[in-house]
Amino acid sequence: MKSPIRVDSHAKLTGITKYIDDYREDGMLEGAIFFSPVHAGKINKIIFPTAFDLTEFTLVFSGDIPGENIVPEPVSDQLFLVEQHIGYKGQPILGVAHPDRETVRSFVEGIKIEVDEFPALTATKAALDDAHNAFGREIVIDHGTHHDIDPMWIHTRSVYYTPHQEQAYLEPQGMIARFDAETRIMNIRGTMQCPYFVKSAVDQIMGSKIEGTIVQVAEGIGGAFGGKEDFPNIIAGVTALLSYRSGKPVKTILDRAVDIQVTTKRHPSRTEIESWLDPNDFTLRKLSVDYRLDAGFYQTLSPVVLARGVLHAGGCYKCDDIYVHGRLIRSNTPPNGAFRGFGAPQSLFAIESHMDDLAKKVGLNPLEFRRRNLFKSGDKMPTTQPVPENHIHDTLERLLDLSDYEAKAKDFAAYNSTHRLKKGIGLSLALHGGGYTGNGEKVLKSEIKVVIEKDATVKIYVINTEMGQGVQTTLAQCVAEELGHPLEKTIYMFPDTSKAPNSGPTVASRTIYIIGNLLRKLAREIRAEIGDTSLEEYIRQHPAEFPMERRAHFTPDESVVFDEETYKGTGYKDYSWAACAIEIAYDPDTWTVEPVKVWAVLDIGKVINHDVAIGQAIGGITQGIFWGLSEYFEKEGMGRMNGFTDYVLPTSLDAPEFVVEFIHTNSTVAKGLGEIPMDFPAAALRNAFLNASGKSINEIPLIPERIFREE
Amino acid sequence: MKIAFKLNEKPVMIDVDPMRRLLDIIREDFNLTGTKEGCGEGECGACTVLLNGKPVTSCLVNAVQLESAEVVTVEGVSETEIGQKLIACYDKTNAVQCGFCFPGFVVSSYYYLIHDGEPDLEKIKRALSGNICRCTGYTKIFEAVMMACELVGGQS
Repeated sequence: MKSPIRVDSHAKLTGITKYIDDYREDGMLEGAIFFSPVHAGKINKIIFPTAFDLTEFTLVFSGDIPGENIVPEPVSDQLFLVEQHIGYKGQPILGVAHPDRETVRSFVEGIKIEVDEFPALTATKAALDDAHNAFGREIVIDHGTHHDIDPMWIHTRSVYYTPHQEQAYLEPQGMIARFDAETRIMNIRGTMQCPYFVKSAVDQIMGSKIEGTIVQVAEGIGGAFGGKEDFPNIIAGVTALLSYRSGKPVKTILDRAVDIQVTTKRHPSRTEIESWLDPNDFTLRKLSVDYRLDAGFYQTLSPVVLARGVLHAGGCYKCDDIYVHGRLIRSNTPPNGAFRGFGAPQSLFAIESHMDDLAKKVGLNPLEFRRRNLFKSGDKMPTTQPVPENHIHDTLERLLDLSDYEAKAKDFAAYNSTHRLKKGIGLSLALHGGGYTGNGEKVLKSEIKVVIEKDATVKIYVINTEMGQGVQTTLAQCVAEELGHPLEKTIYMFPDTSKAPNSGPTVASRTIYIIGNLLRKLAREIRAEIGDTSLEEYIRQHPAEFPMERRAHFTPDESVVFDEETYKGTGYKDYSWAACAIEIAYDPDTWTVEPVKVWAVLDIGKVINHDVAIGQAIGGITQGIFWGLSEYFEKEGMGRMNGFTDYVLPTSLDAPEFVVEFIHTNSTVAKGLGEIPMDFPAAALRNAFLNASGKSINEIPLIPERIFREE
Repeated sequence: MKIAFKLNEKPVMIDVDPMRRLLDIIREDFNLTGTKEGCGEGECGACTVLLNGKPVTSCLVNAVQLESAEVVTVEGVSETEIGQKLIACYDKTNAVQCGFCFPGFVVSSYYYLIHDGEPDLEKIKRALSGNICRCTGYTKIFEAVMMACELVGGQS
């Protein structure tokens, strides 16, 4: 079926769509935040640059916070503004506002602090290697049959590392706050994924000084990928405080270099895997995974990222004696947060790399080794949840057809024996649980609202934001299709906490899977009441019923039970599945790897809009490939990268060729799509490098310097 | 200083600091907010406009360079016949995601279309290599521009 054209397409292409920096208000000030220039210490004095007239500026410190100086969600351990002790370079210290953007930015750049510096832990790998740095949430999954280790079993121990990754949404973070002195309402508009998180953050920092907070999103959100899940809480809080103090609207837009340095990133990880194989058939007898994430200085979102990471740590493989231990590591660096995949890309990189390492060790090809160990419907996952279906097998078999993997693997081996430049092909598989982990969706109890106007316009009120993933179109499609109503008259309303109920954060591949399916159910119910007639006709016959408002709550499947203490039960009700092959070219004289072609087969259940889904898949796979290949964030002695000149993003010239296909699309359930494309590419790339060069490198990105060093 | 130039074919006059960025002049002084600031250092291409017919990153152009110049922004491109056909191809292929980088892509691909327009993937990749998109992985952007080349190629 032809995909409907995205409803947001034309206005974005012609520059009409307003992003946060495109909004202006009368008398508006420009806000900025001064972030700590040191890793750890105690502030004695703040010195302002003398070239400015201080009276022109509005300044807010932690002492000016009328409410509580703690960001309330997700885990409430992070300060809005430093009180005296600094825990990391990049920690917010004070807010500043001035009528002119350039002036406020130069002023902030000129601020100095006198500080007693403390020793700080900032070296990521060193921090991860020492388990004494563990803090906060710790998770153990241990429900298998404990076997005594047979000395004949083939024992392997490997450690895999993954780095920070910058979301690099093209639109920097930004918020506008306007305190209305009459109503005492704080009005917030911005670029964000979770308007209700922002609302509770502003309510918290303002305390009883305001009557309430209304949060609206800008028409356009210029990408997010997880990066606008929790950091907007801080910008909104400080900007609200500046607006309250100055009595004027304040807009804070982060400069790109600042955005890269201080906002949340993908957690660096260390995953140690010990495995034992049966020497007769090379099946997994025992698996032990030690999974660590560098959380940064505060926990914030990290416990939830850790949970998803450990739940995906066994990959798609059968092993009845699996032990997973997950820990958070504390360092003096900004808190890491959400990024597409949310812990799963790290643990899946490790297990998928390990599968190729084991195959090599026992002399099987990676495909045959995986086939022997893939789990089947009814086998137990580490949480004891039965594998619900054999769709991972189906994605793999379809991938082999599409990519001609087996023939290519043979051809490349022959080619490489006679050529200087090498070719390689690598495999990787992934599963990704849709929606919140465990009982998360039960607790959230998302609510949606639909209003049908007298002119038969159907308005959808949810709080899930359009950040590029297409929900402005696909959520409208969900309702329009079930209602049998034209898409043009079915409108996604831009999220506004004063109008839309709390349908939960725009995260966890949950917007179509939870909210879309909930909207479809509600639309079906409305259709059943209306009968066979058109909506217009029904409204003519029953004018008194309109405008009609309908609400619905997410109702959890009671058979889905998960124990948050023991990590036993159903981690996720529905899983998406994927299989991927990547072909690379490798130049052993310059140590450069080039991705040439990518094949991916995904099972996301029902596909709402094929074009949108393909766009999500290719976009996510691209982020995954370059996480594995070239994006690096820290350099020894230089610290964090400082802008797009340093943090190198893939351009059109780096893009490989893609073949992407969805299977099992006749399902009634639309499962999660947003994150799974990020879960598999790095391992497929790494395994392709192993195939081309014969070398196992257990740390990404595969930059020439690393390949050279490991030789 | 006073500077006279053409903006989207209309003669305009401004009195500004000679170092003011073209990006700020377009966005703030003329309220044409289609041109976006993604990085402020000429890397991302979200602020691409045509200056005397050539694509430039407007965050790296200063007011002093504008005397008698011709500037065309995404709003200007959207008014041309070829620009509209190009945008229709982007619509049809559903290439857009967050959209923040797309005004820049529209300007760069418009330039390619009117100066070359050959439906050649390698050439298209080179023509767009100054614009970064984080959402799409570029494939659908190539499709859109390829379609536009086939539709209007040779017309200019």
